[in-house]
Amino acid sequence: MTDLSRRDMIAATAAALVTPLLPAAPVIAQRPARFLTPAEFALLDELTELIIPTDEHSPGARAAGVAGYIDGQLAESLDPEWQARWRAGLQAVEALARELHGKAFLESMPDQRIAVLTRMAAAEGFFGELKLRTVHGYYTSKIGIHMDQAYKGNVYQRGDYAGFDAT
Amino acid sequence: MMIRVAPPPLRQDVDLSKTYDAVIVGSGAAGGMAAHVLTAHGMQVLLLEAGKRLPIEQELRSMEWPYDHPRRGDAPPGSHAISFNEYTVRRPPYAKASAFRHVYSYVGGWGGSDYVKNILVDEKDHPYTGTRYAWVRARALGGKTNIWGRLALRLSDYDFKAKAHDGYGEDWPISYADLAPYYDKVDLYLGISGVKESLPHLPDSLFQRPTKLNVAEVQLRERMARMGRVVTPYRAGVTTDGLKHNKYRSKCFGRGACSRRAGGCDIHAAFDSPTGLIYPAMDTGRLTLRTNATAYEVLVDRNSGRARGVAFLDSETRKAYEANGKVVILAASTLESARLLLLSRPRQHPNGIGNSSGHVGHNFCEHVMGPGVTGLVKELVGKPHTLDDGRPGGFYVPRFRNLKDRQPGFIRGYGFEGSSGHSMFPAHTMETPGFGAQFKKTVRDYAGAFISMGGFGEVLPRYESHVDLDPAEQDRWGIPVLRFHYQFGDNERKMAEDMATTAREMFEAAGIEVIGVDREILTEGWSIHELGTARMGRDPKTSVLNQFQQSHDVRNLFVVDGSSHVSASCQNPTWTIMALAWRSCDYLAEELRNGSL
Repeated sequence: MTDLSRRDMIAATAAALVTPLLPAAPVIAQRPARFLTPAEFALLDELTELIIPTDEHSPGARAAGVAGYIDGQLAESLDPEWQARWRAGLQAVEALARELHGKAFLESMPDQRIAVLTRMAAAEGFFGELKLRTVHGYYTSKIGIHMDQAYKGNVYQRGDYAGFDAT
Repeated sequence: MMIRVAPPPLRQDVDLSKTYDAVIVGSGAAGGMAAHVLTAHGMQVLLLEAGKRLPIEQELRSMEWPYDHPRRGDAPPGSHAISFNEYTVRRPPYAKASAFRHVYSYVGGWGGSDYVKNILVDEKDHPYTGTRYAWVRARALGGKTNIWGRLALRLSDYDFKAKAHDGYGEDWPISYADLAPYYDKVDLYLGISGVKESLPHLPDSLFQRPTKLNVAEVQLRERMARMGRVVTPYRAGVTTDGLKHNKYRSKCFGRGACSRRAGGCDIHAAFDSPTGLIYPAMDTGRLTLRTNATAYEVLVDRNSGRARGVAFLDSETRKAYEANGKVVILAASTLESARLLLLSRPRQHPNGIGNSSGHVGHNFCEHVMGPGVTGLVKELVGKPHTLDDGRPGGFYVPRFRNLKDRQPGFIRGYGFEGSSGHSMFPAHTMETPGFGAQFKKTVRDYAGAFISMGGFGEVLPRYESHVDLDPAEQDRWGIPVLRFHYQFGDNERKMAEDMATTAREMFEAAGIEVIGVDREILTEGWSIHELGTARMGRDPKTSVLNQFQQSHDVRNLFVVDGSSHVSASCQNPTWTIMALAWRSCDYLAEELRNGSL
């Protein structure tokens, strides 16, 4: 990735850096939902961003299109049980938000959303799967590989390879 | 950027009416080498391969970014790779009742399963039975060399004469001096990268430019030197300087694709049999290649009992054919060659051709894996990200047990393969607790600070460790399948315990914080280094082949793959397989010229 496109990508996601304090509608995701309903997709998009948020170093899961990646996997899957577990998992997030704060997850304040996720992370179940797919989606994305990790490989190197000479 | 030439054209309608000088079964490291050496001697050779010739560059796509693939490298839905847990709790045939459309061995679960889905066999088509075994097979031109791990090591007289050292098993009918000139030939013809260490138990090769150790590995190397142990850059069967005599292969450009996935190199800097051996052999005009040819029997002359050819099915049409040769050479892999010998039961050879000793399928051995260590190099936490994976491998720790010392619990030894530093996908993401900004920063700060290594230990050959034909189960082509009678014994378990102990001890001595020690042994077969089902030896009563991999019983039958190995050593076998095949084929060509075959 060139420096130019890196700057473009930071600029494009700068808005995401200042908005999360308000319980506003989430930034529209990059890819249309294919398995999840629009409401489920918006919830998933926010959950992934809470797991890997935008920070001063690099954009987060929302900018990297992680929800779209997960939804694509769900849509293509031939395993209805796995699809059902995701639907049930997202419903459980909503139920927990209502139980703790009396409102829908996306209508809760940021610290309330984090409280819901913290509760989920402490328990066995959906959080592990959610985190696994989020992590995989993010660190295999352009943003994850080139901006967050600043990965330098997968290029034709000239001369000696990187590293310290042991000879 | 690279000068590479398209492979020679391929024809399926090969001439089966003539008698070839040699018919070879299998196109991996052993079969490719036989084709190279015999055509160089001027012989007319027919090479049979059960799989297809794949457009391998399109399969491997070594530099495709995950985000440019619709499923980030995953195989299509409905594909499944067998997990360690499945191998452990279930018994073969693992894919029999599977609801998945395609089932692959565990290698299909490594990063980027879409890139190996046509190279690995579908376990549904290729069942086997008996004891637990993680059998990894590739049916395609080049076989497993299309995705091999590239660690290219020599054996030594610590292996060939191991019985003289500890009294166990049998010595090989050759010594290192017999094979050394052929290791040299393999080095020069195919290219190998490494650093000379002058170790008697791990002889040096004729190395091209080595790859380098990164900062954590240098630290380990320096501290281990004080303990009298060696940490050397990965000895890779990869040409780092290029090969002027081979127009199909590029030198390595350190793209790092080989470590990201199951292996495979679409510029062929890493050795693979098609570009390294078979295409140059085809260019002599003396090699005929027949792919989609599933061999099922060695044909025998009714009167003389000599081998006269090979019967095969077209893998797609299932039509039966016969190929005729003055010499038959099996190179179908340790287990498949044994299966072929056992499947061939003419009147003269009721227990299987070449099996008067009763040793075909027996003395089966390999490497035991599982124990290892992961550590954290604290000084590297939070450092800028560096390029660490742009090389064919990390480091290798040669064997140090039972050389001068005598371990109380076990005989023979083990080595470690390891690596450290940054890679495309950060390490230990799921082991990093929590979520949010702190999680993200921790993953970023720690990504390059991990180092790990895992052991490969010599499994002792035992007569009772064997495979035979299952009387009931058949593969998709109606051919009886192998049944395993094989499991690790006490020596392997004691050795594995020691591996975990010394792995920890080495990291601690190097000032590396140990964050995990694996003690669990992986399923039998995991090393993909199966060996010894048709071993060489001087005594026809206790061995199948002589020192030139020639059947004791049938003079014009040779088995040139890993099945000939007398013991497993702890060193990876591919380079030895090729050196032995070269030596045997030199002998074979001379014998054929003399009229002795």
